[in-house]
Amino acid sequence: MSHHDEHGPRVLKHPLISRLFHWGLILGFLPAAITGFFIWLKPFGDDLQNLLMQIHIVGAAILTIACILYTIFGLDRIVAFTRRIFSWDQRDKDWLLVGGGYPQKMLLGKTIPVPPMGKMNSGQKQLGIMMFFGGIILIVTGWALYAFLPVAPKAVMYWFDMAHLVIGIILGLSVFAHIFLGIYNWGEFLCMFGDGTQTIEEAEHHNPLWIANEIEPVPGSKPSTPGQHQAG
Amino acid sequence: MARYDYVEKAVKVTRREFLGIVGVAGAVLWTGAYVATDLVQDRTKYIKMRAQGIYKDDEKAKIRQSHNNQAVTDVYKKFAHNPLSHLAEELFHTN
Repeated sequence: MSHHDEHGPRVLKHPLISRLFHWGLILGFLPAAITGFFIWLKPFGDDLQNLLMQIHIVGAAILTIACILYTIFGLDRIVAFTRRIFSWDQRDKDWLLVGGGYPQKMLLGKTIPVPPMGKMNSGQKQLGIMMFFGGIILIVTGWALYAFLPVAPKAVMYWFDMAHLVIGIILGLSVFAHIFLGIYNWGEFLCMFGDGTQTIEEAEHHNPLWIANEIEPVPGSKPSTPGQHQAG
Repeated sequence: MARYDYVEKAVKVTRREFLGIVGVAGAVLWTGAYVATDLVQDRTKYIKMRAQGIYKDDEKAKIRQSHNNQAVTDVYKKFAHNPLSHLAEELFHTN
């Protein structure tokens, strides 16, 4: 059942700048990741492989520009993101031990209690840390391989290529898992790619600590208190 | 137009966090630029050194022209017939 519901008070979960950045990742990282796998495995002829490389480079350019613009115009979002992905406590360990309850729900159709989470759950934090460091390494090594392959020492380029490949495979596969779970949580998907809002009820279901501690009413609105409204 | 009743509390970026992020971004960019220019400079330096070495070897050499080199002459006489012969072109010339 989708938790996305038009009724009841809503919370702005993903501001415009974050949604635009996510679109940047869709248009940049995703084509780069998919073409990256083909460039690595070389299943096609020369012409198609060359075209895939061109798409890979354009994707990398979009990704790089998206990251630079987000750093400049969404610095507070990056600070919030960095704080969240590096904030771990016992709840996160317990959440990871039960896989957020997803395997039980998906494989056994069983709902089990999971520790309450803030805006990001422990799996998202894990992916966030991987993307944070992995993304920087991918961008730096990728542009170095693009621009300096003929002039750089071979040993350096060899290790840059290795790092680009291994981290690309790990991040690429992780992102496909992220997309699967994103679509599985359809309400969250609509929120990120729609107007950025979610009903309080739905946000409370996935992110109770965020609702309890990190949101405030928009000046002028008269919503019911979070947690005390009637489900809608 | 999106309508919502709640919003996330504003994120206060401390001076330390701002400096940290700007510092890390600056360090990555500076290191990248330094490595890139260093690689190009190194390459230029090695090319110059190599060219100087070749000129120096040339100055020291008794025979400086290939057509005066007995070994080269022998190769053509015994094996590749004459310069620009079909076999010589096939073996020695690059496209």
